[in-house]
Amino acid sequence: MRPLITSEIRKLFSTKLWLWLLLASMALTALYAALLIGFSDDPDTLTAPLDSAAGQQTLFAVASGGANTLVAVLAAIGITGEFRHRTATSTFLATPRRWKVVAAKLAVYTATGAAYAVVCLLVVASIAGPWLNLKGIDLTLLGNGLPATYAGVVADVTIFAVLGVGLGALVRNQVGAVVGLLVYRFVAEPIVTAVPALTDWTAYLPGSASAALTQVSLSTQDYLAPWAGGLVLAGYGLVLAVLGARVSMSRDIT
Amino acid sequence: MTMRETDARIEARGLTKHYGGIAAVDDVSFTVEPGSVTGFLGPNGAGKTTTLRMILGLVRPDRGRATIGGTAYADLAAPLEIVGAALDSTGFHPGRAGLDHLRIYAAAAALPSSRATTVLDAVGLGDVGSRKVGGYSLGMRQRLALATALLGDPSVLVLDEPANGLDPEGILWLRRFLKEYADTGRSVLVSSHVLTEMQQLVDRAVILHRGRLIRQATLVDLAAEHGDLETAFFNLTTDQETRP
Repeated sequence: MRPLITSEIRKLFSTKLWLWLLLASMALTALYAALLIGFSDDPDTLTAPLDSAAGQQTLFAVASGGANTLVAVLAAIGITGEFRHRTATSTFLATPRRWKVVAAKLAVYTATGAAYAVVCLLVVASIAGPWLNLKGIDLTLLGNGLPATYAGVVADVTIFAVLGVGLGALVRNQVGAVVGLLVYRFVAEPIVTAVPALTDWTAYLPGSASAALTQVSLSTQDYLAPWAGGLVLAGYGLVLAVLGARVSMSRDIT
Repeated sequence: MTMRETDARIEARGLTKHYGGIAAVDDVSFTVEPGSVTGFLGPNGAGKTTTLRMILGLVRPDRGRATIGGTAYADLAAPLEIVGAALDSTGFHPGRAGLDHLRIYAAAAALPSSRATTVLDAVGLGDVGSRKVGGYSLGMRQRLALATALLGDPSVLVLDEPANGLDPEGILWLRRFLKEYADTGRSVLVSSHVLTEMQQLVDRAVILHRGRLIRQATLVDLAAEHGDLETAFFNLTTDQETRP
């Protein structure tokens, strides 16, 4: 597997997409954090006060939302790009056991996802530190249950990489995979989750399972325990990846 | 060179592939002998590309089997060191530098990165390796595809229409390159629909027409029977069509 992982690392870093999506994740995280802090004194805010543990956990959890969808997009583009740019021919000539390519991409994109999460958490810390200080709020980075939030963010973004690889492996079509991912995340699931009669079920959807990892949600949706959310989310990713590797990737490369 | 010679034999047995009920390749059997340049000839749509992709494990045959030195491609332990294939002059990420493309597949085959530089120089692209493939001409892409095929210093080269997009000088270069390659006891299977191009390049011809094998012979035999390759091809395909 080592040579294949080296190969996938070189694929990822020999084009600029990883950098653009990292910058976008950082910008999105900064925007979320700034909005959350900026409106924290608003009487209508849904967020707990920022001098409370719950408030600070919510603040750091925005790193999830900043990075997870874009990491899934990066991973999905990474695997569907093999078909879009017809590099799948060279890839599968070098590695005729195609599942190994999927496994190597999972390894590389999950590590990339974890790195994105860490960077986005640092973005939150660098905004929250001085800004909360100005407001006279003491922020202890290792206090108030924040380490559990960091762990949840890293787990969440990492698992989203599995979802991206799995979806890309199954769909193979780049536009289809990316559009499908974005429509699901920002349109389909929010609509379904908003139906009160369904809340027992919607806790098991990927977006709610993702929220369970950080135990932070701005919607009224209940969520699972963090470990359960993580397992459910990883389950979706792995089922997609295994289906993709077994069904879709074994199709003819013409 | 004896090792090379045993590695290098390609055998296709009864390869068959249907697309939408139509036989794109129908019961095709042939052998590529080591140390020879074999032309895989036929008009566009004859089934050449599909056959090559079946030999290389990219397309699953409906029936039949292909082996390289007795082993199916997918079962080769180090495939790029046995077979080098250039199938597609469009198979590159446009935003990636040519040298990076080669380094990716050198890594996948557990070859040293220095191989990427070596093969890039071998095809005459040494000066443009750091440029993005999106800015390459078709001829440069053909050379990069050939460089990818050469990464593992393979015993067999399989090339699908490698002369497409090359200028006359490039075709001359390719011809000389393949001759030298075969002279070291290795084999080359090269497809083309341009018969005049092949006349001076190949020792043997495998002729495909409408998905079926219509002849495999040495060029010497074909020349004795028909004069030249073009006439041979014309006669053979016309025979085929007038048969009941």
